[in-house]
Amino acid sequence: MAHIWPIGGGKGGSGKSFLTSSLGRLLAATGKKTLLVDLDLGSANLHTLLDVPYPEKSFSDFIRRKILRLEDVVLATPVPNLYIISGAHDTLDIANLPYEQKSKTLRAIARLDYDWIMLDLGAGTSFNTLDFFLISQNSIFVTTPEPTSIENVYRLVRSIYFRRIRQYFTATEFKTLEQEVTRKFGEGSFNKPDCIIQTIKTTHPDKGELLESDFNSFKFKLVLNQLRRHDNIALGAQICKIIEKHLGFHIEFAGNVAFDDRVHDAICQRVSFLERYPYTRTAYDLRELSKNIAQSGSQQLLLRYS
Amino acid sequence: MKKDFAKLNYYEMLDIGPDAAFFEIRHAYNAALQIYEADSMVSYSLFSTEERRKILELLERAYLTLINAQERKKYDAELAQAGIIPATTDKGPHRRPACIYDVKRQTGTTVLPKKTNKSILRESVEKNKKISEILSGPEINGAALKNIRKELGIPLERIAQETRVRLDYLNCIEEDKIDRLPAAAFLKGFIKAYLKSLCVEPADDISTRYMQWLERARKSG
Repeated sequence: MAHIWPIGGGKGGSGKSFLTSSLGRLLAATGKKTLLVDLDLGSANLHTLLDVPYPEKSFSDFIRRKILRLEDVVLATPVPNLYIISGAHDTLDIANLPYEQKSKTLRAIARLDYDWIMLDLGAGTSFNTLDFFLISQNSIFVTTPEPTSIENVYRLVRSIYFRRIRQYFTATEFKTLEQEVTRKFGEGSFNKPDCIIQTIKTTHPDKGELLESDFNSFKFKLVLNQLRRHDNIALGAQICKIIEKHLGFHIEFAGNVAFDDRVHDAICQRVSFLERYPYTRTAYDLRELSKNIAQSGSQQLLLRYS
Repeated sequence: MKKDFAKLNYYEMLDIGPDAAFFEIRHAYNAALQIYEADSMVSYSLFSTEERRKILELLERAYLTLINAQERKKYDAELAQAGIIPATTDKGPHRRPACIYDVKRQTGTTVLPKKTNKSILRESVEKNKKISEILSGPEINGAALKNIRKELGIPLERIAQETRVRLDYLNCIEEDKIDRLPAAAFLKGFIKAYLKSLCVEPADDISTRYMQWLERARKSG
């Protein structure tokens, strides 16, 4: 079974797609069959970063049933062992994927036969993005050392947990739960997953236990991207610590990736940064990161979609 | 799941063990401030103003309690009674910083400075019979230099690193590629540096002999 790694991070422009493409190249170079899926629905870029400028098939073909099996949408890239499901010619309404289509996609992704599957997710915390996160126990959050980006990561983490809790309840049950939580912890506490969990433990002990084992099995990783020279290098570790202490969720800090102007140059010239500038700090950081990720590929549990 | 921050004990708040030394407490408090201060990027947007104020208050109280020896003793006793930390002895359980200077150290046991690599090298040059044989031979050429180096078991790269002479020049010298050697003015210096890095003395004389050999070889060749 494939190791699925959703990659997201709340804020746009933090380097999710660049990171996905770079990690994909590095993992493919180790000889493992690697698939990158562009799930940044509506603003897909991955094909450009992988030098497949005119993909003949795209994710939309699967959604519109032009191509029935998801594995037939997969395209080869110029990089050996690296494959892509492109979002280049997606229909213009793809961003609002209906629920059935989404669960169909999730099931299809989980059945794909690759060693590594990386999902490039879009910005924001829409249900689609959150559900794509929850396909796997692993995921990678990307943030830059800016308050805007960090703010969005905290939000994303909370939203993911909130979404997971929501999946265990029906709409009416959830409504009563909301009232219960607000009564117990006061106004605004329904935005705090830890307050909800505490309430669930008393009202629905069985579900509380399931949720807790779910949350304990999550292996989230945080990557601090675009770290400039004068930035605080301990920032990533501090963020993970504070999330663990105050939100109660375990997130492992996977590493810093240095900022480099030449990333921009490489993207403009549409060449691989890792090949053009292999001896930069950034390239070194990316290689270290891919090693970290390759080592921690663990069991993948499809949550509620199988 | 997580415990409410207000319910943590002071040690947990500051992320230190109950045996922390005073400087560790101070350090932990500074680190915590870095995270929780209002303009900190780490905790940006995670707390409301009210929550942040409460956390900072708690941290301050934790710090002021633990940094004060008497207060800390009282607090430790409370925790020990509740069974959270092991009971303390009168001496105090806290670690003390290790001494940099050991005043009790006996005098008169000064340690001799370690032999440098160079002095070891010099010794082995003096003891090695083959090297003195080569040096007393009729000619000093590149091959002879190479043999000396091989006897000492030193890689050419190390000589290049030490003398800053380009590796390809050193190679040409050892392989006696006469037509590819640098100009004589440089060459003599290179040979001297080569010999000095191997601690072969007298470098001056040997390099002169090498240059004489080279002149003869060029004339006959």
